[in-house]
Amino acid sequence: MNDAGDRSEPFFIGWAKAPTGLRPFLIGVGLCLVVLFGGVGFIAAATQADPGSGRGGRGETAIGVLTYDPYPLLYVTESERYPTGHTLLLSGNAKFGVQDRASALDGRLVQVSGGPVARGDLDMLRLRNGPDGLSLVEGAPATPEVPEPVPLGRWRLTGEICDGQCYGGAMRPGTGLAHRACANLCLIGGVPPVFVSTQAVAGEEFLLLADAEGGPVTDAVLDHVAMLVDVEGEVERRGDLLVFRIDPASLQVAP
Amino acid sequence: MSVKYVPVQWNPNKYVYDAVLLASVVLYIFVFLELGTAAADVTQPINGAIVRMRAFGSCAFLMLSVILAIGPLARLDRRFLPLLYNRRHFGVMTFAVALTHAVYVLGWYFAFSPTDPLVALLTANTAYGQVLGFPFEVLGIAALLVLAILAATSHDFWLSFLSPPLWKALHLLIYPAYAAAVAHVALGYLQDATNPAFALLFGGAVLTVGALHLAAWLRAPAEPTTADDWVMAGDAGDIPDGRAIVVRISPTERAAVFRNGRTLSAVSNACAHQNGPLGEGRIVYGCITCPWHGFQYRPEDGCSPAPFTEKVPTYDLKLEGRTVLVRRTAHPPGTRVEPTPLPEDVA
Amino acid sequence: MVATLLQIAEVYLWIGAAVAAVFLLWGIDRVEPNAAGAFVFRPLLIPGILLIWPLVLWRWWVLTRGETGVRRHRPPRRVQHAVAIVLALAIPVILMGALLVRQNRPLERPAVLLAPPAAAPAAEGEAGQ
Repeated sequence: MNDAGDRSEPFFIGWAKAPTGLRPFLIGVGLCLVVLFGGVGFIAAATQADPGSGRGGRGETAIGVLTYDPYPLLYVTESERYPTGHTLLLSGNAKFGVQDRASALDGRLVQVSGGPVARGDLDMLRLRNGPDGLSLVEGAPATPEVPEPVPLGRWRLTGEICDGQCYGGAMRPGTGLAHRACANLCLIGGVPPVFVSTQAVAGEEFLLLADAEGGPVTDAVLDHVAMLVDVEGEVERRGDLLVFRIDPASLQVAP
Repeated sequence: MSVKYVPVQWNPNKYVYDAVLLASVVLYIFVFLELGTAAADVTQPINGAIVRMRAFGSCAFLMLSVILAIGPLARLDRRFLPLLYNRRHFGVMTFAVALTHAVYVLGWYFAFSPTDPLVALLTANTAYGQVLGFPFEVLGIAALLVLAILAATSHDFWLSFLSPPLWKALHLLIYPAYAAAVAHVALGYLQDATNPAFALLFGGAVLTVGALHLAAWLRAPAEPTTADDWVMAGDAGDIPDGRAIVVRISPTERAAVFRNGRTLSAVSNACAHQNGPLGEGRIVYGCITCPWHGFQYRPEDGCSPAPFTEKVPTYDLKLEGRTVLVRRTAHPPGTRVEPTPLPEDVA
Repeated sequence: MVATLLQIAEVYLWIGAAVAAVFLLWGIDRVEPNAAGAFVFRPLLIPGILLIWPLVLWRWWVLTRGETGVRRHRPPRRVQHAVAIVLALAIPVILMGALLVRQNRPLERPAVLLAPPAAAPAAEGEAGQ
């Protein structure tokens, strides 16, 4: 039971001077600790994953036709940045959608203004608050036609459900499980959910999500956000954007 | 130890200890934010707030791992005992770093939404039935709450007020808290880290902590118990001068039999301050000195010398030949017991 | 539910504040001799009392009634051994479990066309690439 070690062993007393025999050891331990912290800090930081090419910008304006379902979209008719016929996803500032402001403007010609986020083919505009961000174009001669949806068949895709804004570059990284609750919060706030497919469909990797009837699907996907999932549904083209009308019951975690 | 409590007890050793700690933490955060992140291979820069939450989160986890390694290290090699001496300052600093992590998370991931950040934190992800995608934030909250309780009860007042056994029991919460922190990282950041370096660092840290505890446990000797009134402690000749042998009185109680020159005295093995192992200490300036924080007691009555007021229980001793026996029933702390002279034939 | 939980937490902390006020201004001198005449350190105890005030009240009561001394010298050694071993065993389980469920990326899965569109341009239907 005698665990006190041999007689010559130095005995450290906190309030007394550290015994000389123990000092080299303690200095070594201190140095090891400093080196450990510096080294781990560097490696942990230098090996962080690439958050992707998404990036935000400031101050863009566009005119186009707004559609409300499944999530507010704009078919651009006039803009300096975006080509005519381009389909823009719309959200509010931060973790807000624009459903409240857009509901009365379905099918109308509107002017939008806000900060763009862009990643590959994904374009989203984060609208300014109030009428500055979204307003009806008064006295327009005629509202241009919105292109008819083109069905592309029923597909089974593997990919990640993201909030379009963070994935687009509003947050870097805006994907993955560490960001999951944040993505859910965006989606609950009304930001359009985007399906990022591991393989392109009709040349597109990003698909706007909708339910089977073409309505919003946010509540049904919240438990499958930010991880790789398999899901089935109808793909259709609206303008230059693909919409994935999923069957939420078919959602499952990719093995 | 102090006669009157002061906010923070410092002495030259603690200054050095805290300086090394602070230097390590500042270095970690600086290297992570300034050097490491600049060296990361990224198309677009990672958000500053996210880099900061990663820096403080990973630093707190590393600190917690080191803290948990100190206990078993000191049991495996007594030269590590000085690290135990000021571990409470280490713990308080860890809480501060972990709290900074939490504040960044709350102010970034859970801000800017229509929902109150605290409510958002608890409602945004409710997939408690999933392993992948589990709301790992709650595991972090649980660990942080424990760190808060432990940091808030680290003053010596709490040791004395709660009593060392209850204080220790409360502070054993650090074990489930560490498990929660491990799961917090494993189900969160580890799932996203594409570079294997993080998994290796993380796995290395947690497995080291686990292995050290296992090793210290395997090294702990098995202790026999008897139901007799007198418990055999060992051969009087085996006790070096100024040292002790430890004897198990009951599963929770141990006595330390000290040799002080030509006499023997038995006191509780548990120091009055934090129940440190007095029997692993020594007699310094005529007083039994605890190896953890240097609290001192007179061998003959278990009282700290004035002006200090700590007391430990004492035990009756008797000799049968050279064999030392300790009476099972302890005297109340501070009871004087006449020291037993060593047998003539012991050198 | 969560709002109620946060409300309960708030009430808990308010009760803690009340306990802290009474204990630090009055009770502490009756149960802790070393606190006599020491005031600067008392604010430092407030966070602890806020968090564990039920335990504070219980200890206050026990100490007022008088506590036998030997009990203070029986550390929870067996519990400590047990939790240390449980932790040592839990760590590899958590680590391995998390690595097993981990989805290693990039994970390439084909996009599968289950049914072509009823009357759609054939070229688009083939476009899974």
